[in-house]
Amino acid sequence: MSVSIFVLDVEEFRPLVTNAQSMSGVEVLGPVNGYIKISSASFLEFNRKSLGFKPAVWYGALTGGMLGRVTEFGRDTLRIEPELR
Amino acid sequence: MLELLTISKGFSMSDQFNTLPVLAGVHHTARPTWKLRETIEFYRDKLGLPLVHAISARGWPEGHPDFLHFFFDSGQGSTIAFFYYIGTEKPEYLEPRPSHFYSATHTAWRVETPDELEIWRQRLEAQGVPMKPQVRHEVIESLYMIDPNGYMVEITLQLRPFTHHDAEDASRTLEAAMLLEDELKRTGNSSAFDCIDSVWQNKGRELQKLFPSSEGVTA
Repeated sequence: MSVSIFVLDVEEFRPLVTNAQSMSGVEVLGPVNGYIKISSASFLEFNRKSLGFKPAVWYGALTGGMLGRVTEFGRDTLRIEPELR
Repeated sequence: MLELLTISKGFSMSDQFNTLPVLAGVHHTARPTWKLRETIEFYRDKLGLPLVHAISARGWPEGHPDFLHFFFDSGQGSTIAFFYYIGTEKPEYLEPRPSHFYSATHTAWRVETPDELEIWRQRLEAQGVPMKPQVRHEVIESLYMIDPNGYMVEITLQLRPFTHHDAEDASRTLEAAMLLEDELKRTGNSSAFDCIDSVWQNKGRELQKLFPSSEGVTA
């Protein structure tokens, strides 16, 4: 199982992509049809302050879509893990 | 004869009516008020929006109260309008409530530059207008104020133009959400659509089809 998020290739969400590109074990693909796919075999975790996101953008960070389940979505930490089977 | 004429011009009447109609922006939005003086002082004097039109009329049809209907210029041909129904009392269901459902109905005016947004913030503060914190959203940054009626009014700066990717993404999001709403209605089971994560997952499953399956995940 793996986890993926899809990020619309627009300015306000770009920090998700640049952050992911520096993470080990994380693959960044695309853009395809305007989406960048960020994937990991284990989990994805983002920090709001590292992304430079204000709360309104932070809480919409997954609006592009995801494969997985959110296991933490606090004020500063977002973690997505594989779906339970 | 009409048919012959239209054919000779290269289009028919049915073509004309099949063409999608277009809109040219907002003319007015309108709300009721039971605070005439405070509303006029707020929009005309504190905000500085010109009062550009007013109707005063006997109520019609029968049973309709006599009324005033007045309009403030909000730029680019748009106005914000109010009705004052003479001799009536505000019904309880229109009382402002501390609820997202209530403030969801609001007007948002556009400014063109960050400087204009800042000038508005300074003016509103100087005028003592009750304001909510300035918010940076995905594609807009907004000031929020509450008018004397309890209505929320927003002044916003769009930070970038919408692109076709935004439109396509909006369709994907809402198609995913409508399927969940359909499921909720069909089953009556509230867990069918009780958080946004289900929308993200439905959308993700559709988007996965765009990416070649052979490309694995780097361990």
